[in-house]
Parts: sequence; structure tokens; C-alpha cells
Amino acid sequence: MSRKLSSAIKTVAVVLATAWLSSLILILVPPVSGQAPAAGKTAPRAAAAATPATPYTPAHTPDGQPDIQGIYARAGVGGLAVEARESNGPHGAENPLDATADNPLSVSDRPDGLRNIPKGFNVGGVPLAGAAPAEKRRLGLVDPPNKVLPWKPEEDKKRRDFLMKTNPAASLRFVEFDARCALPGLFLNAGPFEFIQPEKEIVMASEYNHFTRTIHLDGRPHLNSDIRLFMGDSIGHWEGNTLIVDTTNFNEFTSFTREIPYLSDALHTTERFTIADQNNIDYEVTVDDPKLFTKPWKTAGLYRRTKKGYEIMEYACAEGSLTLENIFGKPPSR
Amino acid sequence: MVVGFAAFATILCPMQVPARAQAPAAAKTTAATPRRLADGKPDFNGIWQALNTASWDIQDHVGQLGIPPGLGVVEGNEIPYQPSALAKKKENFANRKTADLTEAKCYLPGVPRITYMPYPFQIAQSTKAIAFSYEFDHALRVIHTEGQHPDPNSFLDTWMGDSRGHWEGDTLVVDVRNFNDQTWFDKAGNFHSEALHVVERYSLADADHMNYEATIDDPKVFTKAWKMSMPLYRRTGKDAKLLEYECIFYLQEETYKNAPFKK
Repeated sequence: MSRKLSSAIKTVAVVLATAWLSSLILILVPPVSGQAPAAGKTAPRAAAAATPATPYTPAHTPDGQPDIQGIYARAGVGGLAVEARESNGPHGAENPLDATADNPLSVSDRPDGLRNIPKGFNVGGVPLAGAAPAEKRRLGLVDPPNKVLPWKPEEDKKRRDFLMKTNPAASLRFVEFDARCALPGLFLNAGPFEFIQPEKEIVMASEYNHFTRTIHLDGRPHLNSDIRLFMGDSIGHWEGNTLIVDTTNFNEFTSFTREIPYLSDALHTTERFTIADQNNIDYEVTVDDPKLFTKPWKTAGLYRRTKKGYEIMEYACAEGSLTLENIFGKPPSR
Repeated sequence: MVVGFAAFATILCPMQVPARAQAPAAAKTTAATPRRLADGKPDFNGIWQALNTASWDIQDHVGQLGIPPGLGVVEGNEIPYQPSALAKKKENFANRKTADLTEAKCYLPGVPRITYMPYPFQIAQSTKAIAFSYEFDHALRVIHTEGQHPDPNSFLDTWMGDSRGHWEGDTLVVDVRNFNDQTWFDKAGNFHSEALHVVERYSLADADHMNYEATIDDPKVFTKAWKMSMPLYRRTGKDAKLLEYECIFYLQEETYKNAPFKK
């Protein structure tokens, strides 16, 4: 991929993201939409459960970690959004509260949770390396099996009331945090991320909104609960080829998707990054938020290595953004 | 410049070796011999911070209300502005409360300014990659060690520049270009154009101190290249952890607390 083409694609991605930030609508476009559905129908479902004949053995870093380094883009994870269907009626999938649609409030669109995985490019137009894995992957909500998020009824009602005030936003609180260029938490963006592995830690550097996650592997405990962070506090360890990351200390300003516009400060996530082969990391995250849900739930995705030569470039987000001014009008000068 | 810098580091290290001989492996804060990665490169991993007043003014300045006094970081103290640029600098100073986008709008501060703002930054370095993450604005610089700067004629400019790094001995040299003309060097109005070219040099003086210097060139603003230098300090306490300073978010909370404004 030539640099010029790569940056052209990135420009498109920036334009798309800008539209996304201001309209709040495009988030409903699922990460894997646009993939040929026919391919999915012909693939035998059993292929999903098949394990490779020979388990992949990754290289190791000098301090003995499985080497997870590289630049990856992500698919799935959010995964609650239904595919946009034209048959959904006048509001279609644009209306998060349309009860007649296969709406994303509590279900994923596929009963088996299996989807084709991205091929040449991810949702942001990031060129990906290697061939797509032959088997389907679990993407999106995978637990509970009935695909219904275990909302506490009163919290589900609060959330629905909240969503009704989001477009147009009734006040600053109802603007998506991501549209404000706040740190996006663990769920929202598709990358790409550069994984860097110093001794006893893993650093994920995100191109989108230029943020960094550091996962400490040195055995330290979590921060004092008084410290609350958009990205939470992450500590991890390896079990074989799987990196397990435990994250707490979130503030109340992290969202999962447009349909789950906030999680609480009781949020506790457990992520599993499993190095599947030289180009793919299987990912799943257990979301435990006892203030909002009656039990934890789990969603899955895939980190796919970007095409060789891809570089993380600058994605300035807030600089020059007119999002809030467009929504609310010009603030009085102070 | 290169020779002098290397010589400085060479002189400093041997002087402290005897002290370190007492506790080889465990010594964390007094080790004079820097750790190295498996590839032999000095280990820069950790949380670093400048301890000076360059964020307010990179030149010598006396104290004012809310402005700590300080000796400057510019070598020789004088910045070789072209005459028209010097007038612009004075104008910037007069308008600094609103014209400094970093201060007024929390925008990304550019390079080298991000280095000496009063917030820590983290260097993540492996044998495969290096990235600098900053607490302020969650700024990120991936230091590319391959490839070249994009052609400025066909590539968008950037706030933090495009960073290309290479090693000269134990010194990490980072060449930074592709800037925009929106950032300043400090709150005092020192500025540059989009032609800015920064060459940073990072080298360990001992395990917990780094020598930092930045050579600044901008043919549209200065008559010649000039240099700033300062030590960087490793944060060694149990508080050595990058947290979040979400300037933009806090500013929005203040600016839009009574929104919506239009009826």
C-alpha cells in the first residue's frame, strides 16, 4: 500500500469520523457491515468451533512475554448494533428506540454471534495484513446466550429516557463523550492501535484521538478507588498466549456504544487478548457493572494486524472541532 | 554539538560509578549505569518530567502573578527572530491569554513545548518500537524508526509533528517536521511557522536523569537555527504513573455548562 493511498484512505476515515461525531447516527453502522453476507451462508457453522491443528506459537519478547507487538485494527467488540436494514420502516435502524426494528437496545442481530471477519479493510478504512482467517469468529455479544443484556429494569428505563434526550442533545451531559473528544474508554473505537511491549507492561497507542493505554504486568495492585479515569486502571498477566487484563477505577464518563451511552463507576472489565496467529488476536471482554446489570455479560471481537508499512499518524480530534458550538450555539464570551 | 553532548554524558557517568557499586541489581534511584534493552540501546522506559519554568517562558524571566520566575532554557538566551517575527512575538505576548491555543483552548501544544509542560510523560520503548505518551491532552508521539517524513506538499500538517527517530550511539535523535503554524513554544508568545524543523536529542546522564536538547530551525521566522536544552527527571516515587489531564473535557464542562445557548 503506497503511503499516498494509505493517507487518502485515512482522510476518508477522518471525514467519516467527523460526520460520525457530529451526527451521532453513523455509530449504528456495525463494524462488519458491508461484508458479503453470502459468504457467511456457505461457511459451515462448525468451522467456528474448529481449533487449528497446530496451536500457534508466537515469538517471545526478551523478558519472556509472548510477543503481541504490532499495529492492529479492531472489529466487533461493540457489536450490539444491528445491521442497517432498509426494511425497518421509516425510522429504520436510525431510531434506537424503534421497537419494531431489530433494534440494538438489548440484542445482537445474529443468534449464533458468528460473523464474517473483516477482509481487506476495517471499518475505518485501515488496510489489513494477510488473508482473512477462514473460519468465522465470534464478534459482538456472546454472553448471555439469549443475547438479551441483563439490564436492571429501572436502569434500562433510565437509559432509554437518557437516549431520548440525546438527539438533539438537551444539554452537555447528553452529548456523546466520544463526540467531545474525551478519552473513549475501552470499547468505542476500532483503532488502529500500536502494541508496544516494554518490560512488564504493554502499551497500546491509539491513532484515533491519540490516546494511550498502559497495562501493567508488574503485579501492582489497582489504584486507590478515589482515582477515577476515563480509561480505567489496567493490570494484567499472561496465561499461555492469552493476555488477561483486569480494569477498574473507571469514572462515570465511559460509554459502550451509542445504545449504552454510559456505564457506571462500578464498571469492572476483564479482557482476554489471545494471540491466534501471526496476524490475528482474538479478543473478548466481560463487562461487569453491578449498578446497571444483574450479572456480567461478554462481547467478542478481533484485532487484526494492519498491512506492513502502516504507520500511526496524528488524528487530532478536538482541535478546531465545532461539534459543541454547532449543537448548542456559540457560548457567551467569558 | 554532538561531540560535546556525548562528552558530557561520558564524563558524568564514570563519576557516579563508585556510588553504584554498592548495590548492583536492586539500586533503583541511584544507579549511575543506565539499564539497557536486549538490543543494547539505553532503556528510556518510565515516567519523565521537566522541572523548570520554560512552559511559561523559555527565556529568562522574572516572576509575575501566577508566573514563576526562571532562568531560560534557550542557549545564550537570545532567540534569533527576523525583525518582522520579533514584532509578531511581542504581539503574541500582548494577546497571550486568548492567542495561545494551548492555554486558551487546550489544543495540542506541539514539540518541543509538550516536553517541558508541568505534566509527566511516559516513554514506552521496546526493541521494536518507541512511543512518547503525555499526560496533558493524552498527547501521543509514535517515534517512527523507519521511513521518511511525508512530503509536506501532499500531506496534511500536524500539531505534534511527524517524528522520525534514530540512534547516534546512546543518543536518541528525533527529527520532527510537518508541523502546522498554530502552536507556540511557551505562554510568552514565542512562535514558529509551518516550516518548523525540530531535532531532539535524548540521552541518559544516569539512570534517572536525561539530557534533552532541541535544535529549532524555521527559515520563515528565525535568522538561524537555535537550541534549547534542559535535564529531564525520572519520576521514581510510587506516584510514577501517568494519569489523565483531560484539558478539553474540563474546558467544555466549564464553557458549555449552561448550554444550549440559542433558542
